[in-house]
Formats: sequence, structure tokens, C-alpha cells
Amino acid sequence: MIEANHVEKSFGSRENVYPVLKGIDVKIQDGEFVVILGASGSGKSTFLNVISGLERPDGGSVLYDGLDITKLSDRLLTAFRKETVGFIFQQYYLLPNLTVDKNVRMGADLASNRVYRQIIDAVGLSDKLHKYPGELSGGEQQRVSVARALAKQPKTLFLDEPTGALDEQTGRQLLDYLCKLHDEYRFTVVMVTHNQNIAEMADTVIRMNSGKIIESYANAAKKTAYEIGW
Amino acid sequence: MVVGIKDSVKLAGISIVSCCAVFVCTLFLNYNIDLPAIKGRITTEAGMAMFDAQVLTGKVVVCVTGCCLVLTSAVMLLFYVKNYIDAHGKELGILKALGYSELKIARHFWVFGVSVLTGCAIGFAAAFLYLPDFYELQNEAGLFPELPVQFHPLLAFFLIVAPAMVFAVLSVLYAYGKLTKPVLDLLREKREYNLKYKKESTKELSFLQDLRRNTVRSKKSLVFFVTFLSFCFSAMVQMSTSMKDLSSEAMGFLIFAIGIILAFMTLFLSLSSVVKGNTKTIAMMKVFGYENTACGRAVFSGYRPFSYLGFALGTVYQYVLLKLTVSVLFKDIENLPEYRFDYKVCAITFVVFILVYEMVMYSYARQIRKLSVKHVMMES
Repeated sequence: MIEANHVEKSFGSRENVYPVLKGIDVKIQDGEFVVILGASGSGKSTFLNVISGLERPDGGSVLYDGLDITKLSDRLLTAFRKETVGFIFQQYYLLPNLTVDKNVRMGADLASNRVYRQIIDAVGLSDKLHKYPGELSGGEQQRVSVARALAKQPKTLFLDEPTGALDEQTGRQLLDYLCKLHDEYRFTVVMVTHNQNIAEMADTVIRMNSGKIIESYANAAKKTAYEIGW
Repeated sequence: MVVGIKDSVKLAGISIVSCCAVFVCTLFLNYNIDLPAIKGRITTEAGMAMFDAQVLTGKVVVCVTGCCLVLTSAVMLLFYVKNYIDAHGKELGILKALGYSELKIARHFWVFGVSVLTGCAIGFAAAFLYLPDFYELQNEAGLFPELPVQFHPLLAFFLIVAPAMVFAVLSVLYAYGKLTKPVLDLLREKREYNLKYKKESTKELSFLQDLRRNTVRSKKSLVFFVTFLSFCFSAMVQMSTSMKDLSSEAMGFLIFAIGIILAFMTLFLSLSSVVKGNTKTIAMMKVFGYENTACGRAVFSGYRPFSYLGFALGTVYQYVLLKLTVSVLFKDIENLPEYRFDYKVCAITFVVFILVYEMVMYSYARQIRKLSVKHVMMES
């Protein structure tokens, strides 16, 4: 279980402090699909960075099954990321000079995953194994980043606006792949988005505004990627 | 304006190398121009032999050291222009998309010639101040009559203004060539990856092995630099110590100092480019949980074999050059000791080289630790 307690984070200098997270409390169960919803500047991406261990909060704690990752040294935090979390970003961040196969292997090698090509199959890219990112469409690149993240067999997958740079059809396709993989592997999903429709696919929706949680609810009836609006 | 004077300031390495080149060339060329004035007043046979030897030495030093340094400056400059265009592809692409012609954009790259102008001017001034002592040093044996230092405006023009102009034009032309890419390639910062290794990439290499190999292959100019820096270090340091019996101590020191400066400049430039060029890769590896040592090894260790290759080439080069100089050019000079390869100097230089290289690598590996993942993401 992931537990964030009174998480606070500010940016800026001493004279000009800009609070981004103002004491956030969240509990996420194992295997849950959580969507953090909010407009630009609401603090949702910063919160994602903090609970995933990419950034340290100014106050509060982030517990993974009781382990407070905010207290870990840089070395231990790296080990934590290696063993526990996977990331998918809006801009993909693939390594341009490596093929699809090697990009996915970046994640797979960390988990000594020798059957990582099954995931490449699952995201429908087995025929693009030896292509370079520059030779792929945006949607294909994002699917590579999904495969790369899942190849390291993370317990929790963090996604920051994964469909932000994709068109509707490609976006739906990607979310569909993601849901199927989630159903199969049962990892925890924490996705940040400003698209209210995507929230209908989640188990739990957390709505943020001005660095605070203004609403949190469970979806009674989840929708699939092809049932939601866009 | 895309390129400004501020950007040319960053080319301190080129200024330093140009400064060294002009310093050496000014010393020997000015001396060689002034020397014929006293030729008629040299009465002894030993004096005439010394005269001929010094004229020849001047030509050899200017050709070997001067040309080598000029070539290095040129390569460094082109490397910097290439890196600049790679790093600012988006801005340049937008300008092109707005309708600016390649030539109109490339024209601004003349400012990179300013770094050469600065280096050349400083090198010329420093050499001119040192000339009286240098003339005395050349006449240590007292075989020549007194030789006053003369200022030659034409020499100043060819060693200060002309190189700056040539390098400015070179920068513009090279930038023009690089900017002829399609606008979208510049906007997408499309790199020229060599796809001909596709077949090999299907081999079962681990991610880190493959990354190491690709990092080296995707930046061939860096391979050249790392090889070249080791070459300079090896050749110049060994040459300066081997020359102690063949030349003056001052000459040995000069070559030693230039070798060290050159080696550090190229090492600094190439390694900082390696880190800069791989920032996103390192950041992403850190996000995924790769340790700092693994990131450093993947990025830097591929260059190590080339550094050893450069060292070996430098050793052979200095040996062949000195052997040829002694046995061919200076064969008529009496009492010149026989030149032999100095194994001890070679071994000590190699150990020092490894220590220096690994220390610099270590300091850059420490820089990797400080790389903030968020900072890299925000930049993208």
C-alpha cells in the first residue's frame, strides 16, 4: 500500500515561496488503478514526482508498505526505484540511438527479465523490434515506453499525461493496452491527467486543485478505453 | 540573433590552443625573419652551422607544432559549431520555418572567429614580450652578434587577423552546410544515427553493453578527440623529456607545457560534450533505478580503449619524428648525441596519463550524480 501523509512541497526562493502541495493525504491499495485529475498548475505532476520518489517533499511522509521513502538516502532511493516503480511520461524519453528492443531491455535488465519480448508483443510492436525511435510514430513510441516500464516488472506504474501527445485513436489504443496489461499483471497504476474522461476508467479518482485534494471517490462502474468520451 | 558574442566566450579552449599556436609560431618566425640580418656578420664555421641549424629548427617547429595546433583549433571549432547546431536545433529550425535563409542564419556564426582572434592576439603579445629572452636563449653559446627584436606588421597580420578571418569564414561555411537539413529535422532535433549497425544490434548484448557501444558510435567526433588528447599528451610529454639532450631546457619545457594544455583542453571539451550529449539518457537511467556507477560506466568507459590507442600512436609518432629529425635534418651537425627510445620516460608518462585520465573521468562521473532528473525533464 502507498500512503502519503501531509505531503508538502514549495518552489521558489526564501522571499518568494510558492507552495505547490499543501498537506496532501492519500492511500492507494495494491493493484488499484488511480487517476489524479486536475488542471494545469494544480500540483498533480509534482505530487506524482513526490510519491514516486523522483522528488523529495519539504514535509510529510510517503510510505510504501510502511517504508518511508522520503527518509531514504540517494543510493537507497535509486534501489527503491529499481525494484518498485516504473514510469511513463508524456514525452516518452526513449533513447534515440537504441532500437525498440534495446529500449525495452533498459527496463528488463533491471529485473533480469528474460521474457521481456512478450510485453513488446502485448503492446503490438513485435514487428518493430529493430526500429529506432525516430522511425516510429508518436503512438508507437509511447507504446515502447509502456513496454519499457512494464519490462522491469514494477509493483507500481506511474504515468504522467501518457496520452497528452497522442491523437484520440492512438490515445484510446494505448489506454486499452494499459488496461489489459493491468488486468493481467495486477500492478498498481497511478496516472496523472487533465482529461476528465480518462478518470472514468479508474478504480479511484483523486481531484486536485491549488495543491490540495478537493475530491476523492471510487468509480462504481468503470468504463473501457473505447467507452469513454474524448 | 541566435549566436552572440557570449557564445564565442564559451570557446575558451579554442582561444587557448590558438594562443599556444601563435605563441610558438611568433617566436620562431620572428626569429627566422630577423636572423638573416646578421648572417653576413657571422665569421666562424661553428656560427654558420648553428645559423643553419636554427633556421631549420624554426621551420620544423613551426610546421610540426604550429600546424598541429592550428589543425586542433580548426577541429575544435567545427566540433563546437556542430554541437551548437545540435543543441539549438529547435531555435534554428524555427528561424528557417519563418523564412530566414540558411546563409542569413549561418552568417551570425562569424562571432566564433572572435575566440580565435582573442587567442591569437594574446599569443602574439605574449611571444613578443618573451622574444628578447628567447633571442638570448637561442644565442646561449655566444656564436652570433647581438640580434635586436624587430616588429613585423605583416607577421602580426598573418598570425592574428588572417587566422581569425579564416576561422570566421570556416564557421559560417560549416554552419551553412549543417543548416541545409530540412526544417523538420532541425525542429525534431533529429540526430544522424548510423543505422547500418542494425544487423549487429540483434546480437544478444545487454542494455548497458549496447548503450556503451552506441554512445561511442553515435559520437565519432568524440572518439577522435579522446584519441587525439591521448596522442598529444603522450607525444608532447615524451618529446619534451627526450629532447633534453637534443635541445635547450626551455624548448623542452615549451613543448611539455603545450602538450599538457592541449591534452587538458581536448579532454575537457570532449568529456563535457559526452556528459552534455547523454544528459537525457543518464537522467532516464537514474529514473529507472540504474546506479550512478552504471550510468558513468555506460557513458565513459567506451572511450578508454581509444585513449590507450592515442597514447600508443603518440609514442610512436614522437619516436619517429625525433629519429627522423636527428638522422635526416640534423645529420651534418657535429657532436649531436644519438637519439634512443626512452623506455623509462614512456612508462612514467603512461602511469601519469592513466592517473590524470581516470581522475578527470572520476570528476565527470561525480557530475553525473548531481544531475537532477526533474531539471532534465523541465528542459525537454
